[in-house]
Amino acid sequence: MTVQTQRRGGGGYLDRPAPSGLADVVEIILDKGIVIDAYVRVSLVGIELLTIDARIVIASVDTYLRFAEATNRLDLLEQGGGKPLDEFIGNMQESGAGRKVKGAVSGAKKALSSGDDDDDSSERRPAKKSSSRRRSSA
Amino acid sequence: MTPAADAALQEEATTPVPEVGWFVYGVVGADSPVPTDLTGLDDEPVTTLSSGRVAAVVTKVAVERPPGRSVELLAYNSVLDALAHGPGPVVPVRFGSILPDEEAVVEEFLAPDEGYFAELLEGLQGREQFMFQALYDEQQVLADIVATEPEIAELRALTKDLPPEAAYGERVRLGELVSAAVDVRRAVDSSWLLDEVLPLTEAYSLRPVSGLERVVDAALLVATDRRADFEERLEALAEEVHDRMRLRLMGPTAPYDFAGGG
Repeated sequence: MTVQTQRRGGGGYLDRPAPSGLADVVEIILDKGIVIDAYVRVSLVGIELLTIDARIVIASVDTYLRFAEATNRLDLLEQGGGKPLDEFIGNMQESGAGRKVKGAVSGAKKALSSGDDDDDSSERRPAKKSSSRRRSSA
Repeated sequence: MTPAADAALQEEATTPVPEVGWFVYGVVGADSPVPTDLTGLDDEPVTTLSSGRVAAVVTKVAVERPPGRSVELLAYNSVLDALAHGPGPVVPVRFGSILPDEEAVVEEFLAPDEGYFAELLEGLQGREQFMFQALYDEQQVLADIVATEPEIAELRALTKDLPPEAAYGERVRLGELVSAAVDVRRAVDSSWLLDEVLPLTEAYSLRPVSGLERVVDAALLVATDRRADFEERLEALAEEVHDRMRLRLMGPTAPYDFAGGG
């Protein structure tokens, strides 16, 4: 039985997937919820949910090699105007039904010069709201 | 079940293993109606066992069963989904929680913490959880990085056409720089995205992200009467950033991240 109330926003840019597949469900549930003391529970080896931590990629040489490979696989002419990025956007479109993607992405912008590269995203950092900041992150 | 496995199970269990137990899905208010046609694991009808102001949502479950199957996880989620869409709040109980009998559910699980559960339920009244994610397109973010970071472009040019076993050190360095460059972008983008989104929520829980695609992964608790504004604002944000990020919103789901279970 599945109960979903799905509504699609007017513009259609926001993905509103119905969590349906196992992967979605596992991701939502993880190891959440009230924990009942083990001495009360019936311990069932088969049904216990393993700790799922697969999404967290530990920074390692293997990770770096994977990133390097992904970078080298890129099919782009990064100099002299290059290929419009529409093609890459096209890939994104596949996974987002109902999304409208139009126009070319503006090309390279100024590189970020911040040395702040050790972000633990679980820790929220205070941030200023400013339009210049937004521009700089494109 | 083999005698050895049986023995192992007996050893692990701290209570005697009965043939039938009660699978606990969540806790609701004792006066909160549960859909009558709701079924859970093994299509067993969902019932409630109450203690004072709170009730456990349960189904009977055969304790002897094959190792965990995905249908069980999906059944658990769909019961909580149905409860989350119902009239009253639900506090999810962690997947796989089985108690030996009704007495254990009422006397050992509900009764000792009735006040705590009632408080959690009160805090969830009129609020719904959503999962919010922002993602880069891997190709696009890499293209942007190569185009804007000269050292990365140089290393890429150097290693691109060499066989995989060559230039090992340069490849590691390239990956390291790419990782750092994505982190910088992610820090900036997640920071301003969250600045836009979090004021619309009652509570939030940020899940760690890594890799090349994920920018934000957050569980958000949203007041039902502000939900329309919230969804509208997210739609506008999604449009604003659509040339470099994809925003996903799943839910409402049961408030898994706000059940006090850590």
